[in-house]
Amino acid sequence: MNRMITNGRVKRVNTKSNPGNNGEIAMTEERVLIVDDEVEFTEVLSQRMQSRGIAVDTAAGGREALEKARDHCYDAIVLDLAMPEMDGMETLKHLLGENPDLQVIVLTGYATVEKGVEAIKLGAMEFLKKPAELKELIEQIHRAQAKKMLLVEKRVEERMKDILQSKSW
Amino acid sequence: MNQEICRLRKEELAFFAEIGAGVSHEMRNILAIIGQNAGLLDDPLALARRGKLRDPEKLKQVAARIARQVDKGIEAMERFSRFAHAADERRASVDVAALVENVTALARRHVRYDGGSLETELPDEPLPVTTNPFSLQHALFTSIQMVRQCTEKGAALTVKMANKGTAAVLVVSAAAASGNDRLSRRLDELSVVTDELEGSVETSSADGVLSLILTLPIRSV
Repeated sequence: MNRMITNGRVKRVNTKSNPGNNGEIAMTEERVLIVDDEVEFTEVLSQRMQSRGIAVDTAAGGREALEKARDHCYDAIVLDLAMPEMDGMETLKHLLGENPDLQVIVLTGYATVEKGVEAIKLGAMEFLKKPAELKELIEQIHRAQAKKMLLVEKRVEERMKDILQSKSW
Repeated sequence: MNQEICRLRKEELAFFAEIGAGVSHEMRNILAIIGQNAGLLDDPLALARRGKLRDPEKLKQVAARIARQVDKGIEAMERFSRFAHAADERRASVDVAALVENVTALARRHVRYDGGSLETELPDEPLPVTTNPFSLQHALFTSIQMVRQCTEKGAALTVKMANKGTAAVLVVSAAAASGNDRLSRRLDELSVVTDELEGSVETSSADGVLSLILTLPIRSV
């Protein structure tokens, strides 16, 4: 598995699965978690994303989303705001509290300027209003993946520096 | 008196906005589902044009999902329309049972966000009352919100209605061991609306059930 940056986008590429292309992008392996209590919405959105090569998990509420985010590594989390029990803002706080590198895209019908500002201040990467175009959502997922890869790279560099410094090299 | 009217109008506006925001949220969800289903139709239609559609049954399933969401949207808009038109006249004859059914349907989404439920127990017979229909909606919705906020998250709420001859009685209740003091302290919030309805409001707590009781005089035009 290699990483490739093209036009500002970082992609994980699987060169093994497509050896004839001289290491060019073979496939992206974006993995997304959709969190929404409207099950019919998550089902249809998942089908459309999967048909575009994106691996999708779903959660019907905040608690389930937290559990899944602890157990899996996602490139982006698509999060609704108005949900029973634990609402989207609270879920967002918990998600980023546990892992500040997570890239969260808020996608909601509860779309006011105030909610948008609040979500971004809490650390959401983007705030989209329902009904959003799939193309727009997928563009944001690509952006999220790129940001996440850069963060991972930064963390590795920082760790390397720490190790080197601790060895006085 | 002017201050009271001013307060009532402010509260009515806030109430209208809260219901409007809830319905617009519901409509956005419905449109989002329709939009995604319409997108899902794209690929099979392209295949059909090339004569390669393998599973036409899938198209029927997607069309059925779209039709179901359209029905949901129509129902939500009809409920909102009934709600909004209640403000047309400040005094009119209304069927209280139908009004309660409509307001509880609009409030159900708000209750559900706390993980709770909201059910009705209404008589089969209509109960016509001459009153201010908008204020009655306002009083009932505020009562539901108050009982919800004074009980545990996720409580099961019930709205019952009874014809007591000279009065229509609406009872919003929830199983709750405590909360009566909090509810009693908040009764003032409802007084301006119940004054407009020439009705009364009280609380009751018995056998672990907390209730808010609205009494409305029955008058004909």
